[in-house]
Amino acid sequence: MMVEEVFSSRGRVKILRLLVEIGELNISEIARRTGLNYATAIQHLSALEAVGLVCHKSFGRIRIYRLNENNLHTRAVKELIESWEQAEKKEGMVKKL
Amino acid sequence: MESYFTVFKDESKLDINYLPPNLSHRETQLNLLTKFFQYATEVPGKMAQRALIVGKVGTGKTALAKIFGLRLMQRAQEKGISLRYVHVNCRERKGSLFMILQQVILDFYPHFPKRGYSSEELLQMLLQMLDEKNMFIILVLDELEALIQNEGADSIYKLTRIQESRLKAPQRLSLVCIIRELDCLDALDESTKSTLQRNIIFLEEYTKNQLRDILNSRVALAFRNGVVDEEVVNLIAEQAEKEHGNARYAIELLWRAGKYADASGLREVSPDCVRRASSSVYPTVQKDAVFSLELHEKLFLLGVARRFKQTNATYITMGEAEEAYYIVCEEYGEKPRGHTQLWKYVNNLSATDIIGAKVSEGGVRGKTTLIELPFIPAEELERELSRRLKVQ
Repeated sequence: MMVEEVFSSRGRVKILRLLVEIGELNISEIARRTGLNYATAIQHLSALEAVGLVCHKSFGRIRIYRLNENNLHTRAVKELIESWEQAEKKEGMVKKL
Repeated sequence: MESYFTVFKDESKLDINYLPPNLSHRETQLNLLTKFFQYATEVPGKMAQRALIVGKVGTGKTALAKIFGLRLMQRAQEKGISLRYVHVNCRERKGSLFMILQQVILDFYPHFPKRGYSSEELLQMLLQMLDEKNMFIILVLDELEALIQNEGADSIYKLTRIQESRLKAPQRLSLVCIIRELDCLDALDESTKSTLQRNIIFLEEYTKNQLRDILNSRVALAFRNGVVDEEVVNLIAEQAEKEHGNARYAIELLWRAGKYADASGLREVSPDCVRRASSSVYPTVQKDAVFSLELHEKLFLLGVARRFKQTNATYITMGEAEEAYYIVCEEYGEKPRGHTQLWKYVNNLSATDIIGAKVSEGGVRGKTTLIELPFIPAEELERELSRRLKVQ
């Protein structure tokens, strides 16, 4: 998957952002917190998993997703999101002042 | 400006949940417990152990288990073994195996979904998680009575037998059960009972001298130098011995006596402070139980306490209690629960002896549940509940 394919989807970015923030989550919770439809969430997660950005563990019927930290692309995405959020915070503070 | 004088140095050392670094007069039992679980750090995974701690209220059961857990984890860490000690109070988890296991799993995965599976599935998942992380767990089930009462023998059976179906897999789950009296195991079937009773540790009631030692060590930690006289410690130890050697009662009494001394502006705790404190401390069983109630049970109880404060009657009717509860709900901005739920609360509260409940004699206008407050003074209960609710 090309970089534009990951970042052109609002849903995928939302999921990645959520996983950077929370760490590990099951599908229903990912769907709920991102405001995505359950089926859509699964589609995005499968796509992200196919390119190795996320991985999952199954406990019975429950699948818990998290970022695949072994993947170099994942680290790049994580850094991008984290530094983006930091910049956002700083900007917010400057505006308040 | 005159500064406010207090007899306390560090009040937190008298808190119910404070764990002293050493447990006086329980070394033998601690050693025994450590021996039972020696394998956990020597040959982890080769076997799983079950132990039972039996003792009355305030004999140091929970503290013993926790100190044991801390030391065991430390030793495991030194040896590079991944071992976790998980302490669950069955009463706080409403005596449900599902909720107990959920608490354990949330410890591993804080965002694990909270519903959608059975307790058997949860147990399997827990073992799978332990396998994946190559981890061992010592699960302490405090107040096991609640689990037995609520779910009977099945849950305990599942917990003790789960690993038998895993041939050749490492044994990852060990159990320590804490109960007040052995009688409560009567409800279990013979095989479960025998697996549990293999390793029993009895905690006898503390004697007066032992209580004095415990009190002295707490006085040194919590009070300023020289504010608590030997005579005061003796008096408290004597009173606590009468309460079946209840150390928790003794410590509560000590704290309260200190509070009375502060309130009266005294520079030391006098025997009179103890006497005043003892008339206001009710047995700690109920206090613990009040602590673990859920929000609406607390609100209901607060309603009951307030109603009793207004009236001299021995009993109030269910209707009166409900009315009082509605007012409390309004005050706290909560949507009141329905009658059936309240009736369940009454059953639960009377089972834990916080209130007494009986059905009225059939009169002309039918029957109702009558509620009494046999042990705790209404005013005291109201104060305690208001404080807890404020924290929530």
